Amino acid sequence: MKTIGAEHIKDLCNGAAFLATGGGGDPYISQLLAERILHQYGPAQLISPDDLPDEAFVVSIGMVGAPTVTLEQLPTVDEAIFALNRYEAVTDKHIDAVIPFEIGGGNSTIPPFVAAMKGIPCVDGDGMGRALPEAQMMTFPIYGVKPTPAIIVDSFGNSELLECADALSFEKEIRAKAVAMGGMITSAEHGMTGALVKRSAVPHTLSFATKLGALLRQHDGIIDAIEPDLFALFNASDYGVIKRLFTGKVVDTTRKIISGYDVGTATLQSFNDASRKMEILIRNEYLVASINGRTVASVPDLICIVEQETARPLNAERMRYGQRVAVFGIGCTHHYRTARALSVTEPRAFGFDLDYIPLEEIDFP
Amino acid sequence: MRIGIDVGGTHTDAVLMDGMEILCAHKALTSNDVRQGIIDALDQVMTEGRVDLNAIKAVMIGTTHFTNAIIERRQLSPTAIIRACLPTGSGLPPMCDWPSDIASVLGYHGYMIGGGHLFDGRQISSIDETALDQAITDIIYNGVKSIAVSAAFSPANNLHELKIAAQIRRRIPDASISMSHEIGRLGILERENAALLNASLSELAAKVVSSMEAALTERGLQCPFFVSQNDGTLMSAKFIARYPALTFSSGPTNSLRGAAVLSGMKDALVVDIGGTTLDVGVLSNGFPRESNSHIAVGGVRTNFRMPDILPIGLGGGSLVTDEGARVGPQSVGHKLVSEAIVFGGSTLTATDIAVANGSVKVGNTSLVQTLDPALVERSTKRIHDIIDEAIDKMRPSETPVPVILVGGGAILVSRELDTASSVIVPDHAGVANAVGAAIAQVGGEVEQIVSFSKQDRAHALEDLTQQAQAKAIAAGADPKSLRLLDIEETSVSYMDDEAVRIRIKVVGELRHTK
Repeated sequence: MKTIGAEHIKDLCNGAAFLATGGGGDPYISQLLAERILHQYGPAQLISPDDLPDEAFVVSIGMVGAPTVTLEQLPTVDEAIFALNRYEAVTDKHIDAVIPFEIGGGNSTIPPFVAAMKGIPCVDGDGMGRALPEAQMMTFPIYGVKPTPAIIVDSFGNSELLECADALSFEKEIRAKAVAMGGMITSAEHGMTGALVKRSAVPHTLSFATKLGALLRQHDGIIDAIEPDLFALFNASDYGVIKRLFTGKVVDTTRKIISGYDVGTATLQSFNDASRKMEILIRNEYLVASINGRTVASVPDLICIVEQETARPLNAERMRYGQRVAVFGIGCTHHYRTARALSVTEPRAFGFDLDYIPLEEIDFP
Repeated sequence: MRIGIDVGGTHTDAVLMDGMEILCAHKALTSNDVRQGIIDALDQVMTEGRVDLNAIKAVMIGTTHFTNAIIERRQLSPTAIIRACLPTGSGLPPMCDWPSDIASVLGYHGYMIGGGHLFDGRQISSIDETALDQAITDIIYNGVKSIAVSAAFSPANNLHELKIAAQIRRRIPDASISMSHEIGRLGILERENAALLNASLSELAAKVVSSMEAALTERGLQCPFFVSQNDGTLMSAKFIARYPALTFSSGPTNSLRGAAVLSGMKDALVVDIGGTTLDVGVLSNGFPRESNSHIAVGGVRTNFRMPDILPIGLGGGSLVTDEGARVGPQSVGHKLVSEAIVFGGSTLTATDIAVANGSVKVGNTSLVQTLDPALVERSTKRIHDIIDEAIDKMRPSETPVPVILVGGGAILVSRELDTASSVIVPDHAGVANAVGAAIAQVGGEVEQIVSFSKQDRAHALEDLTQQAQAKAIAAGADPKSLRLLDIEETSVSYMDDEAVRIRIKVVGELRHTK
C-alpha cells in the first residue's frame, strides 16, 4: 500500500478492531470521520519506516479519554490538525510525518486523515501493534522516545503543553487532563527522528490491519473458511505466530469498573467437551487466557476473539452469555520481548500473579 | 373492558378483554384504509362479544404504519434539523451517515449552532442566538415545517433543546418539533437520526390519528384510545401525533407481551415460529429485554429502545435438503399450502417432516408415508437442534428457561428442548399481538450519567425514579399503581471510579380504564 484513502477505512477499522484484543470501543465514529475527511482531501501518502530518512521528524497523534464521551461530544475536523500546528509552533520544529500510537481501535484512523489534511505522509506503523491501556506500554518510550513535549487540545480550541519526566508521569498527567478538559482530548506526542521510528515503531501495521480487515469479511464471515488465509497473513508478518486457542460459547461474564478500567472475566465452554473451559481475564483488553486452569496465552501476546458466524471482532463490552466465538492467540512482535518491554506489559504489570511465557513456547493441547 | 387491535402488514387482529380474560378474538386481512380497517375490527369483536358501548373503557391500537412509511420512503415530510453542539461535532454534521434515497426525501436541511452540554453538566457553550435565528429564517424560506432538535448530552440536560424548540415555536407557530431527548438515548448521531425520522412522520401521524379517531367516533365509542410503543407501554392519541417513531417495533413487542399474558409467565423465552423464520425474544419481568446495540430503521442508524430479537431462518415452509441434514434457511414461504408434499406439491418442507414424524396432522398425511425414516429422524433432530441453539443464544445464563411457543410454525416442536425447563403453547397464540396491545400499561423512563462522588447512590436513584414517575403520570398512569420496572447501571470506563450511566424505568396502570 502506497496510499490510504476513504475506501480503505472500513477494512482498516475492522482489522484494527481485531488487533484491539477486546478494547478500543466502537470504531463507528472514527470510521465516519476518517471517511469523510479522506473523501474531501484525497488519500494520504503511506510511508514505510524503512523509507523514512533518519533525520525526518515524526510526531505521534491520537485521542485520549473515555470513549463513552465521544458518543455525545462528536469530533471536529480541526482538533488533530490544530494539535499538530500548535506542536510545530511551540517546539519550533517542522513535522515531516505522523504515526499512530495505537493500531488497535479507533486511534488508527486519525493519523491517516490528519496527514491528508496537512499534506504530509503517514508512517505505516504504530507504537503498540495492538491495543494497550497506558502510555508507558507503548514501544516508543520503551525504546527511548520521550513522550513530551506533548500538545493536548480539546474541541474548544484550548491547548496545553505537557512536559513530563517519564512515560509513567505522562500517563498520569494526560489521564487527569482528559477528565478535566471534557472527557476526551487529542494529543500530539512522542516527537522522534526517523532513526528512532525505525528502532521503536511496530512497522507496517496500518497496511497489515487493512489487509486483515478485508480478509475477515471474506467467505461470508465463516471463520473456519477464513482461517487458512488468516494464518498465512499472520505467519508472514512480524507477529510470526498464530494459534486457534479455543472454539466455544460464552457461558459466564463478570465486570466491574476499577480505577477507570473495565475489569472482569469471561468463561467459555468448548462445543465438543463441556468440561473443557477457557477463562479470559479482562482489563479493558483480553489479557490472559487459560484452559482448565492452564495459561495458554498472556499479554503482551495478543488474545483476539471473533464471532464464529460473522468473524466480527468481539469487543469485551459486548461479550455476553450464549455468543459463539473463536479465540486466537497471536505472538507479540519482537519489540515486546525484551526484559525492559516486558517489565511494563507482562501479566504482573496488570496485577496478575503469573509469568509471561511466549505463545510459541506454550505446549498447547 | 378493553379492545386491543393490532394492525400488521398482512393481518389485523382484534381482541375484547375483560381484565386478563379474553372474551373474543378476531383475525382479518389488513385493509389499505386505516379508518375502515379499524371499524371492521371493532364491529367484529363488538358483535361477537355483544357488549354495551359504555362498557368499553379503552381501545389500544398497535400499528406498523409508521415503520412501513420509513422503509418504503413514502408520505414522509421534508424535515430540518438544528443541532446545538459547536464548537464540538463539526466533523460529523447531521445526516452524514444516511442513505441518499431517504436523505433526499427529507431534503438536506441540517444546521449546527453553538450550544449543548458536557458529560459533567457544564455547558459546551451558550446557545448561539444569532446562528439559531439565521437557521430558522432559512427553514422558513425553504417552507419546511417538520423540525428535529438535538443538543450534546441532552438526555442528561435538556435545557438547550427546550430553548431552541421554544424559539422555533415562536417564529413558526405551526411547526412540528421533535426534540431528541424525548426520542432516543445517549449517542447523539443515533438519537438525532431517531428525532429526524420522528419529525418526518409528523404529517402522516396527524392523518393516521384523525382516521383512528374518526373510526371510533363512527362506532359511537367515547372512550380514550391509545397506541402501543416499542417498549410495550402505551401513549395516548395526543402523544402519537408527536412521537410516531416510538411505534417502530411495537409488533414484536406486543407479541412478546401477549405471550406473557396468555401463558401467565413473566420470565420466559418466546419463540414465534412463522413460515420462513422464527423470532426469539426474552421476557424479563413481563417486558421484552431490550437490545443494547444500534438498530437501523430503513437504513438509518438509530438507538430506539427496541426489543432484543434473534431471527433465525427456520419456519414451517423451510426446505429440507442434504438427506435431512439441512433445514432452511430457504423456504417456500406463503406457497407452503401448494408446494409442500402434504399439500400435493413436490418440495420437502419442515411441515412435511412434522407430519411424517406424527407430531401434527395437516394436509394429506399419506403423501409422506414413503419418506425414509432415517431422513425424517435426521431432519426432526436438526429442527430441534436449531431451535435449541437459538434459545441458548438468547437465554440469560445456562439455566434452562421456560419457553412459550407461538405462531403457526409451533407445530414443528414435538420433542423436549434441552434448553427449556418447560414448553408452553398457550391458547389464542394467534392473536398474541392484539392481546399485548390490549393489556399494555403506561411507563416513564429517564437516563443520565451520574457521579456517585458528587451525589450518593441512594439519592441519585431516588431523584431519577421521581423523574421517571412524573413522566409516567404525565403519560396517563395511575400514580398509585406505579412500580419500578428496571434499573440499569453501566459504569463509564476511563472516567473516575464512580461515573455511572443509569437508566430507570417505571410502569403503572392506565387511569380509569379497569
